Amino acid sequence: MLPLVHPFYWGMWFMAAPLLIHLINMLRHQHVEWAAMEFLLVSQKKHRTWVILKQLLLLLLRMAAIALVVLALAQPLLPDRWGNFLGAQSTHHIVILDDSFSMSENLGTLTAFDQAKNAIQRLGESVIRPREPQTFTLLRLSRCGGRYGGTRPDFQKEPVDAEFAQRMSNTLESIQVSQTAAEPLPAFEAIQQLLGENTGERRIVYLLSDFRSRQWDKPDDLKNRLEQFDENHIEIRLIDCVEELGRPNLAITSLEPEEGIRAAGVQWRMQFTVQNYGLSAVRNVPVYWSADGKPGGSVIIDAIPPGRWAKKVFDVNFAVAGEHLITANLNADAVDADNKRYAVIDLPVTTPVLLVDGHRTAGNSKRISDALTARKGIQPEIVSIDYLSVPKRPLSDFAMICVSNFAKIDRMGVEALEKHVAAGGGVLFVTGPLTRGDLVTQDLYRNGSGLFPVPLAGPESLVVDPLDNTPDVQSEDHDVFHNMDHRVDYLSMIFVKEYFATPAAWNAKSDPSLRVIMRLRNGAPLLVEKNFGHGRVLALLSTTSGTWNNWPSSGPSFVAFVLNMVPYLSHRFGASDTLLVGEPKTLNFSDPPFEQAVHFTGPGGDASAATINGEVSTKGRRTITYTKTETAGFYKALLTQPSHKTETRNFVVNVDPGEGDLRALAGSDLASRLAPLKYEFEYASKFNTKLDETQGRNLGDLFLQILVMVLILEQWFAWSCGYHVATRMTDPWNVIAKGGPA
Amino acid sequence: MRDSKRFLHPDAIKRITRLEMRARHVVEGFLAGMHRSPYFGQSIEFRQHREYTFGDDPRHIDWKLWAKQDRYYVKQFEEDTNLRATLLVDVSGSMRYGRGAMNKFEYGATIACSLAYLLLRQQDSVGCVSFDEKVRMIVPLRAKRNHLESIVQALEVSSPRDKTDLYPILREVAETFPRRGMMILVSDLFSPRDGLFRGLKLLRSRGHDVMVFHLLDDDELDFPFTGPTRFEGLEMPDIVRCNPRALREGYLKAMQTYLEEVRRGCTRNNVDYVLLRTSQPLDAALAAFLSNRLGMHHRNRT
Repeated sequence: MLPLVHPFYWGMWFMAAPLLIHLINMLRHQHVEWAAMEFLLVSQKKHRTWVILKQLLLLLLRMAAIALVVLALAQPLLPDRWGNFLGAQSTHHIVILDDSFSMSENLGTLTAFDQAKNAIQRLGESVIRPREPQTFTLLRLSRCGGRYGGTRPDFQKEPVDAEFAQRMSNTLESIQVSQTAAEPLPAFEAIQQLLGENTGERRIVYLLSDFRSRQWDKPDDLKNRLEQFDENHIEIRLIDCVEELGRPNLAITSLEPEEGIRAAGVQWRMQFTVQNYGLSAVRNVPVYWSADGKPGGSVIIDAIPPGRWAKKVFDVNFAVAGEHLITANLNADAVDADNKRYAVIDLPVTTPVLLVDGHRTAGNSKRISDALTARKGIQPEIVSIDYLSVPKRPLSDFAMICVSNFAKIDRMGVEALEKHVAAGGGVLFVTGPLTRGDLVTQDLYRNGSGLFPVPLAGPESLVVDPLDNTPDVQSEDHDVFHNMDHRVDYLSMIFVKEYFATPAAWNAKSDPSLRVIMRLRNGAPLLVEKNFGHGRVLALLSTTSGTWNNWPSSGPSFVAFVLNMVPYLSHRFGASDTLLVGEPKTLNFSDPPFEQAVHFTGPGGDASAATINGEVSTKGRRTITYTKTETAGFYKALLTQPSHKTETRNFVVNVDPGEGDLRALAGSDLASRLAPLKYEFEYASKFNTKLDETQGRNLGDLFLQILVMVLILEQWFAWSCGYHVATRMTDPWNVIAKGGPA
Repeated sequence: MRDSKRFLHPDAIKRITRLEMRARHVVEGFLAGMHRSPYFGQSIEFRQHREYTFGDDPRHIDWKLWAKQDRYYVKQFEEDTNLRATLLVDVSGSMRYGRGAMNKFEYGATIACSLAYLLLRQQDSVGCVSFDEKVRMIVPLRAKRNHLESIVQALEVSSPRDKTDLYPILREVAETFPRRGMMILVSDLFSPRDGLFRGLKLLRSRGHDVMVFHLLDDDELDFPFTGPTRFEGLEMPDIVRCNPRALREGYLKAMQTYLEEVRRGCTRNNVDYVLLRTSQPLDAALAAFLSNRLGMHHRNRT
């Protein structure tokens, strides 16, 4: 049954017009006294049946033409494909709602997300009208799998009934824009799984989004997925919720401690970055910061060019050790979510440095320890090489680890070190007489995949050339020589007798992650750096005890080097992990002394509160995975001891700063990137103009084409019936008219 | 020529009430439009020489030419006898049809009178027969100028009747006018074709030159009617209710077949046939007549 709109019902009465005209004409005979009846009777006798038939056909054609005009004006809708022309085919509306925080862009009175919700509400109201069965699925991007957990639709193939609009209204009212940077691809994959095989229903996928450039500029994966929709006869409607592009937006993209010694009572610095996502430069941007909930001050950024970022610092000083909550925020702009950035800094009483030494006298470590005492707040601890295998405290408790004059580090020790460095820790290796090059190359270097920066051959003496005045050591600019005035002069006072050589076949340039900071006179590397995971590794291929060189006693350069090295290698010490909204938080704790149940609270109030039992990971250790990180801010994990004494561990969740990039694609740009995909593009504010078409295929154009054909047929038929006045009959026998004899 | 013809159009002629005046107007207008008449002259007018053959009248030998060339030639003249023309005018009911300036009867009567006037003007003898289902009136052959009035009276028929078969009419005419002459039939010929052709054949067998002016109205030739129409026969009792456009093609086809049949029948019987529309200028009949006469001259001489 065709769903027809109003004009059809009254328009069909016009079909009777040709019949009425015919009947009226039958009553209105003109009267002619005719002489040539003979020929008229011949014609009537010959054509009577055919004339009646043609008149009937012509009458039907004219009635059909009027019916087609009415149908074309009525714009009837076919439920779906012509194969189901007579059947009551159902339509499944699948609405994907982009609720990433870029949709919170303020468009004036409404946000882009409000526009999207209004469009969905209108769609929900319109799908009630058709008589065919309608079902509705509503899925938010932040609930479509990926890193945001499993697929959780708000409506899943919900049958549409009279109360559906109200249910839709209630649901939309409860939905708020998320703080995620959810992308559409997981949603498409989730939809593909939800839909399964086509059971003959009509399917329309609506994507209501802001179509940001960072997701849609090179949409190969998205396009492939959409093409699969198209191949499966799923109609695609892309609905853009942002018509006006290019609103300015600033975002704080990072907030972290600057490299340096951090301890209670010591002033140190927090560093933040502000990105300008707008199309024009911004000036005098104030950034406000607070510590532990108290306003700390503000920093003014003079100018940020369009598309660029600016990095600034502010000084902090906490008298008390422990975790401190630091917030930086910008003034309100188009998108609020990225105007705030959170950080938790675990400030120790002192900075613990672990000095692991392979020799019982620990000569190398002692020289380093002596140097560390020059700075307040650093607490070195010298341990034997076995400590790495069975640490009394987790290695992560130390800001830096120095492993000196080691012979062999067992497998557990190597793994512990690698895990520590990969997580952001720092390690300094110092070779010595006990060091065995083959073991280092085998266990620690491992063809470049291990911690140690270079393969070692064996100890060698640096040949002394009395005629050569070149200093034994050359250096490059590096943070370990920070604030070291007259560095070249001081380092020229170093004399090296022995060092660990690298194999002759090895080339430092073969590993791009490698950097040689200090070299010997003969070109051999002396101090080498390698990045491993999130951490850093330095290797000094000589001793610090003064056995192979005179560096510890050659002047202040050694102390300066050691004091610079600690903050350099402990750059991430005390900084909490950067979690993005939606990412799970994993918490490790010991059981005992803590009970297995941990209570979490976060900025989301009840929504983010949960009590979770930790699962046993290793002996005496438990692991908890907390997933309710849907809001940016500070979170607390409350660990309880049997004595009811509690310990709080803080962590932060921040928004993905890239989502604040409001550059988006216009409809034409999107079309060029998605070509030749078939889809419909609309703006959310005008979405209601096409809603009726969602209920079926509009047959208006089809009827118009048939009408043209019927009119042509009618004209031809009327012409063939002789119903047109012809030109005057020619009479070739009229000789007079020709002016000559017959 | 064109200006004079403007006044010979049925619309103009219709304004002249009296038939004699119409005829005069038509003929004078026709002649005035011609610079020179090549068709007739005095009967003593010389035309050409021809070598004498056996049977020629010796009185026509040109002796002066014989004296110069010692050969016999006879002189030929344009005309040397009076024409006896009889106008056979159809006054039946079907001739009353016409939606233009003149109906077929008025048109036919006008051209009949015009021909009579023309013939009397050149001192030929003219007779007239009006007929419908039978001969209504016979006007004998006369060459007097005032004879036109008698012909006009014969054409003024008050109550036309149906026409049946033309053969009895033409047979009666042939018997009434036994001497060879010219028979000019003015009719719409809506009668059985067999009778028509038999009658024409009879006239030709009696030595008459026969000329047929077939009068038809524009409507009868074009059938331009639209809309539901009730056709009632003028001579037949039949009534046809129809949409004329639906029957037009068949009608026109039947009409063409009929016209073709008439034309072939006339040609077969050596009868000059002229189809005239009642919307045509009235001098068309005179022109056809004179053309026909010239043709007869040539036929007679050769």
